[in-house]
Amino acid sequence: MTRTMFQYDISPELAMFPHLQEIGLIKNTTIRLNSFLQECSEGIGLRLVTEGKFDWLIDGKLYVVYPGDLVLLLPGQTIAGDNDILNIGSFYSVKITAQDQSRVLLGKWSMLNHKEKLSVNQILTHNRQTPVVSLKEAQTLIQALLTELKSEEVGRQSMVNHFLDQLFVYTCRQLVRQSNLRRDFPQTFFNLEQILRKDLAHQWTVDEMAVLTGMGTTVFTEKVKSFSGFSPINYLINIRISEAIKMLKRGEANVTTIAHATGFYSSQHFATTFKKLTGYTPSEYRKKNLFK
Amino acid sequence: MNCIITIELGTNAVRVFAFDFQGKVIGFQKGTYPTFHDEPDHSEQDPEQMFITMLYVLKRLLNEVVYPKKYGVSCICFSSSMHSLLAVDEDGVPLGNAITWADNRGKKEAGSLKGTQVGDAIYQATGTPIHPMSPLVKIAWMRNHDPEKFSQTRKFLSIKSYVIQQLTGNCIIDHSIASATGLMNIHTLNWDASALEFAGISADKLPDLVPVTYSDIRLKREYQKSLRLSDSVKILIGSSDGCLATLGAGVWEQGRATITIEDSGAFRVIGDKIIEDPAQRLFNYRLTDRLIVSGGPTNNGGVIFEWFANQFGDASLGYDLDKTIREMVKEASTATAGSDGLLFLPYLLGERAPIWNANARGCYFGLHIRHERKHIIRATIEGILFEMLSIGKTLENYREISSLSINGSFASIPFCTQMIADMFNRPVNTLSHGDSIGVGAFLLSATELGIFPDLEQASKVVQMHETFLPDPKAHQVYRQYFEIFESLIAKLGDEFDQLAALQSK
Repeated sequence: MTRTMFQYDISPELAMFPHLQEIGLIKNTTIRLNSFLQECSEGIGLRLVTEGKFDWLIDGKLYVVYPGDLVLLLPGQTIAGDNDILNIGSFYSVKITAQDQSRVLLGKWSMLNHKEKLSVNQILTHNRQTPVVSLKEAQTLIQALLTELKSEEVGRQSMVNHFLDQLFVYTCRQLVRQSNLRRDFPQTFFNLEQILRKDLAHQWTVDEMAVLTGMGTTVFTEKVKSFSGFSPINYLINIRISEAIKMLKRGEANVTTIAHATGFYSSQHFATTFKKLTGYTPSEYRKKNLFK
Repeated sequence: MNCIITIELGTNAVRVFAFDFQGKVIGFQKGTYPTFHDEPDHSEQDPEQMFITMLYVLKRLLNEVVYPKKYGVSCICFSSSMHSLLAVDEDGVPLGNAITWADNRGKKEAGSLKGTQVGDAIYQATGTPIHPMSPLVKIAWMRNHDPEKFSQTRKFLSIKSYVIQQLTGNCIIDHSIASATGLMNIHTLNWDASALEFAGISADKLPDLVPVTYSDIRLKREYQKSLRLSDSVKILIGSSDGCLATLGAGVWEQGRATITIEDSGAFRVIGDKIIEDPAQRLFNYRLTDRLIVSGGPTNNGGVIFEWFANQFGDASLGYDLDKTIREMVKEASTATAGSDGLLFLPYLLGERAPIWNANARGCYFGLHIRHERKHIIRATIEGILFEMLSIGKTLENYREISSLSINGSFASIPFCTQMIADMFNRPVNTLSHGDSIGVGAFLLSATELGIFPDLEQASKVVQMHETFLPDPKAHQVYRQYFEIFESLIAKLGDEFDQLAALQSK
């Protein structure tokens, strides 16, 4: 196995890029036992296959990865060779430290604005189960990155970070396209709804929801309205109130906890919205809707 | 001025209409809710989301249309899809989601009952074919596979019963919805002892039975206040979507039948006698204490053509499924009747009537190198409608059918309507209104309010919009191909089962 790698703690080329842990090409020409035992990704790992075919277990699930496929590993995800073997072939590997594992993955180095970073984050985390993307732009970008690292021309630092941003943006766009491949809006809307349910406490904006479907905000709002009968925000309120009702009826938590868990910014806001819709305050609702 | 509100708790959405006393729609709003398929055979919905969506849509219709137009509300009438099951605990709190009609988890339970002496007796008594759709089978499944939930259950409700219970506090079920549970004796209008025994429950685990005209219930004060409705508003429990769609299609006289094709479909007639089909292919559901709606349901309606359009439609049209479908129908019309010898069995979702085989699968038969895209599109539509013809033929063993009316978004595509007329060789009427379920609920309410003397008179106000006459030449072609369609169905039973057995390994 030959590794042509820049590594942050060794290579002077990476001195200005503390977020770039490693970048380079790994080429494997022989099959050896125990050549690829399980690794757990600390930051964000990207692997782009350029030659051969690799059998990789990602979070325990087998993926067969071909040239042109980009594998994306988020913090905590594991990867191993099937039967602990590294197949013959080559791939680029890029490792980047994640800033804050829960909310924003891309650190200060990224030139994306805060909203864009949040969307990148949402798209990447919600596609954890689909770690392989076919991305034709990836090879050009990684090669440009390597060339830029070796160069000493003006604008080097910005260009490197810029290429990294591009890599993430293209990956996200491709993930959104992949998950909405079927041109059937109900299915796309259902997928979105699942994402909303998983993170109901988040203060979702219409822009964020639209980005997850790969649509512009105006078209998205119009589609949601004509399909569901509700504006995106009102539909979200439906889900929030329904989940809140379930929690109220189970009697598990107090009203403030329920309000926050279901995405209302205060118990006051929750109570007002709840009463407006149902005619009951949240605490009355539980008492008065049980069998006598 | 007063109006009548109808609330339809459908498979994908709640639809709320406001009608004036002449039956004119003064307002309409809908709201969707999702169906969850967490396991392959499962199909569930969240009862709280259905309730909240219903409340939200009702409130919006009242505040945005009914009150600004200075209408008061005389009556609110409910309808819902059939066969749903919701278990609630001691306090009336749902134990998980509601299970919908499309859920097939009870395949084994249904299989073990069907064809037995007990099964035959239960079908004769309840009018509901033995199938995983029926709450009878779903309860039996729960007893076998989720005994903890089964024992925690104080009541097994339908989704409509739950909504009514939330709004009024009463735990009741109407004869229509109950007659689709497989648990009610449609002859005596009581819970059936042998069905209860098979399900493993006593009658007190079920809501109280009431006629569809029952209105001795009131909205809770909080809802009266938040919806600005007075205590005198009549709350009518109403009937099921299938029964009301038949009433709303004006199918009353002898010889009339209605075809509904939305995602799924059904062929139905109204009568005062139960159809006793020894092969158990047809259902008999109670519309009223005197009237029976009989017929057969198909799983494979417009949803199959939508699937086809999604897979093979012009990708450049983006998310516009309606436009894709329009383009494809146009293309289909350039092929001739019979698609030059290409046949399609539409059983992508398994099938109910008339073959009742959950393992059935789709199949194109007769493909030839000369066939083009247009033939495949046309054959797909023809297959969906041949299936309807196959149900119609089953029903014609018992009732003479001289004319048809159609409703539902797929059946009302003019190309499809004409094809139905040609296949059945009968005139087909389209209705002047879009939603037969809403109109059916209006007719029921208006009769209860004394606007019409009885349902028969009420059904006469349903107006036909357009009549499609059959083309005898096309009929000749379809008649011959239909023979092959029917013999294919008869031949393919075992292979479907073998395929299913392979896949379940």
